[in-house]
Amino acid sequence: MVVNIQQAVSQKTAGFLTDEKIVIETLNLFFYYSSDSPALKDVNIIIPQKKVTAFIGPSGCGKSTLLRCFNRMNDLIPGTYHEGKVLIEGEDINKTGIRLERLRNKVGMVFQKSNPFPMSIWENVAFGPKVNGITDNTDLDEMVKSALIQADLWREVKERLDQSALDLSGGQQQRLCIARALANKPHIILMDEPASALDPISTGKIEETIDELKNQYTIVIVTHNMQQAARVSDYTAFMMTGEIIEFNDTRTLFTNPDKKLTEEYITGRFG
Amino acid sequence: MIKSEQTIFQRRVDRANRRARFLITIGGYSIIVSIVGILLFLIYQSLPLSFKTSMKDLLIVELPLRVNKTQLIGIDQYQEISYFLDDKGEAAYYSIINRDFLTRDSIQLEDGEKIISPAKGSLNKEVFAVGTDHGRIITSEIRMNPRYQDNRRFIEPSLKILDTFTVALPPETEVNHIEKIAFCQNEDGNLFWSWLDHTGNLHLKIYNSEDDISFDYLLTEYLGREKVSTLTFSYDGEKLIIGSQTGELFWFDLSDEEAVYLRQNWKSSQFAITALAFLIGNSSLVIGDQTGLIEVWFPVRDENDQFRFKPIHQFKEMSAAVIQILGSPRDRTFLAIDETGRIQLNYSTSNQTQLEFKKSDYPVVAASFAPKADGIILLDQKQKLGMYQLKNEHPEATLKTLFGKVWYEGYIQPEFVWQSTGGSDEFEAKLSIVPLIFGTLKGTFYAMIFSVPLALLAAIYVSQFSPRWLSRIIKPTVEIMAALPSVVIGFLAGLYFSPLFEKHLMTLVLYTFILPLIFLLSIFLWRLVPEEKRMRVPMGWELLFVIPVLGISSLAVLGLSNPIEVTLFSSNFKQWLFETSGQNYDQRNSIVVGFALGFAVIPIIFTISEDALSNVPNSLSSASLALGASRWQTVRRVVIPAAAGGIFAAVMLGFGRVIGETMIVLMATGNTPILDLSPLNGFRAMSACIAVEIPEAPVGGTLYRVLFLIAFLLFIFTFIINSLSAVIGDRLRKKYARF
Ligand SMILES: Nc1ncnc2c1ncn2[C@@H]1O[C@H](COP(=O)(O)OP(=O)(O)O)[C@@H](O)[C@H]1O
Ligand SMILES: [Mg+2]
Repeated sequence: MVVNIQQAVSQKTAGFLTDEKIVIETLNLFFYYSSDSPALKDVNIIIPQKKVTAFIGPSGCGKSTLLRCFNRMNDLIPGTYHEGKVLIEGEDINKTGIRLERLRNKVGMVFQKSNPFPMSIWENVAFGPKVNGITDNTDLDEMVKSALIQADLWREVKERLDQSALDLSGGQQQRLCIARALANKPHIILMDEPASALDPISTGKIEETIDELKNQYTIVIVTHNMQQAARVSDYTAFMMTGEIIEFNDTRTLFTNPDKKLTEEYITGRFG
Repeated sequence: MIKSEQTIFQRRVDRANRRARFLITIGGYSIIVSIVGILLFLIYQSLPLSFKTSMKDLLIVELPLRVNKTQLIGIDQYQEISYFLDDKGEAAYYSIINRDFLTRDSIQLEDGEKIISPAKGSLNKEVFAVGTDHGRIITSEIRMNPRYQDNRRFIEPSLKILDTFTVALPPETEVNHIEKIAFCQNEDGNLFWSWLDHTGNLHLKIYNSEDDISFDYLLTEYLGREKVSTLTFSYDGEKLIIGSQTGELFWFDLSDEEAVYLRQNWKSSQFAITALAFLIGNSSLVIGDQTGLIEVWFPVRDENDQFRFKPIHQFKEMSAAVIQILGSPRDRTFLAIDETGRIQLNYSTSNQTQLEFKKSDYPVVAASFAPKADGIILLDQKQKLGMYQLKNEHPEATLKTLFGKVWYEGYIQPEFVWQSTGGSDEFEAKLSIVPLIFGTLKGTFYAMIFSVPLALLAAIYVSQFSPRWLSRIIKPTVEIMAALPSVVIGFLAGLYFSPLFEKHLMTLVLYTFILPLIFLLSIFLWRLVPEEKRMRVPMGWELLFVIPVLGISSLAVLGLSNPIEVTLFSSNFKQWLFETSGQNYDQRNSIVVGFALGFAVIPIIFTISEDALSNVPNSLSSASLALGASRWQTVRRVVIPAAAGGIFAAVMLGFGRVIGETMIVLMATGNTPILDLSPLNGFRAMSACIAVEIPEAPVGGTLYRVLFLIAFLLFIFTFIINSLSAVIGDRLRKKYARF
């Protein structure tokens, strides 16, 4: 269920989003790795549907942490806890009874460092559907193919689907990870600096892929690289020390930032 | 100034580096060298088993004996003096060292009387009976006693007449020839003679030395129309075997001297039986016939529980009639000599012809083994004496006897048997390694089915599921288990747990059924608890639920076992088990050993596989979890395959450890070398066998070398397993774990 912007509880920063539908929304989100100090402080953000939203900010400001709140990957780190709410498609994902498998099936993730399984290309892409209960091989073949096509990898690997994914180049591996996430037919794809370890050409390809995907998927991308944020995203949030400093459509944020901190950051005076 | 200090320091570091590298290299190489050294030593010790029997000419001389008159020859144990008994009763002693005749002895014969039939009567004494053409049978012994003078050894031969009797003939017969004779002096000193007289009658005379009485039998009527061609006693005087001109054999049972009877009559050949002899042990009978056939028969229990001679081994056929068979005084080797002077050296147990030779162009007239079976003397028709040294050290160990089924004396069929030592020389050593290999594999099997699942599941739990505080307790605890000496484990298993096991057998059996049942039931109940409540149990604390489950099952089992045993198994489960399955319950059985051995390898398998599982990068499980896989799916589909190499290596290392494990199998099994897969009885493992038997094995003997061969096999086993674990483990790692 997609909530219309007018129904959103928090609109403090979202005037520019009036025409969009909300998919993710956080309400006064605090996140703690340990009880000393929060890694996220009172985060209220709205992520619009089928758009690319970028998180930028200096290293250690909590971008990845925030991203991982959306598919509860933070749960894996012992001793962490949060306050506040994360709603995805209107549903509180932290309430008891939520099935993590279903949530993560819906909210796919691409990691900073490509992490294909040590299996064949086919097995990699089919992994998600398989663990979610699809066993028919022709169905799986179909899903693998369409995911690989969407990730713009099909042409390169269609002849060697049964070869080890580890034989692919770094960029190909990352696009394979994208395909793997896509095979689950998620609604949302979280990308944590997906191109940070890649050369410029591979980075360019990933960016193209993201561009093509945004018609169908809600994409949240963390990036270190402001040019990249400017190139691929529709909206950008600038974070610092666990807080959202400014959230606006990308062009406005980069050309006419509201906050002084934002301006200093994008003009490279720190970070 | 500073600079030079730095260079001095730098130099010192370099020197230390070089020294360390040198020491480490030396260490590495010395390990390799010592392993190769061990291997070479094992080979060196066991290789003589494969050496062929060999013979060396010690002496060949033509002797000035009367042409073609020698009846018997023999030699002393040091192979210094041999004797030649001729048909006039003259015993000539010949010194092999001086190559000259010494003194003589003689058997007093009547005028014109000649010895026409000689027979030796023992394997370890030169005692013999001779039949003359005057109807007399004279029994005598030649002693070759060593005497020491000035630290030198002199053999003093002497001849002693033990007994003389004349055979009565029916009236009006003039010729009274003892045509053929067999003789035996058994260990009690009783004498047995059987002879064929000139009229074709077969006689048997038994002299009981203790009671000083004799028994006479006429056996002719038992033979029907068969004509005697050759005859022999077993060395204990319990069996008399008669061979006939048409290939029939008769077994007379003499065990009751007052009631001798024909026990078995059979046909073993179409032709005349020309030579018969028992081998040491008095069971195996070697039969040679006119056409050169050589067979070994021995009594085997038949369907009616009767012992019957059965054909066991057939040896290479000789080219002419077998005229003499000589059993070795030490083992189951025998010489077969044919008409033309060709000679075969055979070993009965292994059914192997070890040597075939012809030393002279003329037929052999007399032959004898040296008392220690380390030499043979042969005299041919031309009075040529040949003395040969025999190197026949391990005839009982051949590929066939070590690895194949062998038909041993007293067994009803060929079998794999390990029974290396019996009371005496007469014992037929049974050296099949198969039951030992089987035992090792059986122990390994039971240990592995117990330990592998447990260790791997524990490793998976600890590396993937348990909360950190728990793994921090479990891991070192398991590692401490590894430090427990295996003697202690073996001791506990063999002396404490196995009696306990036996006492509570019913309880344990029940446990194996009831525990999983209650577990499944409790899991089912757990699933009925609303998900929200279940979710609230923190990870790792599920373990707490196991405690009541264990408690309940224990109570159930303890409460039930007695009533169940009483009602269902008529109060005795072991008895019931025996009656229904025919399986006897040994106290020290494979289940106990499986537990004990398993206990010893669990730490190895656990530690290595736990490491392998923990080393699977988090990024992989994160990827899997982020794709919506459950924890278990992630473990099964991603983590375990990625750790497969390490897990495989862990299992193989455990395997290698179990195969070589000695103390536990030694103490916790009955060490019975049986070929039976049943978990209810024990086994004898190769390692335990070596440990048990090597202190008893005479150095350089066959058993000693076979034990080294077993050690060598064990070495190869573990070597192969460890290499496999390295190679396959590596391949798996390459395939699944290039992160
Ligand atoms: N696993 C963790 N345990 C403890 N602290 C962490 C962990 N991951 C990140 N942090 C801390 O949380 C803060 C935010 O980190 P992160 O979200 O990774 O920043 P970013 O992705 O913006 O560079 C940092 O101060 C970091 O030190
Ligand atoms: Mg980050």
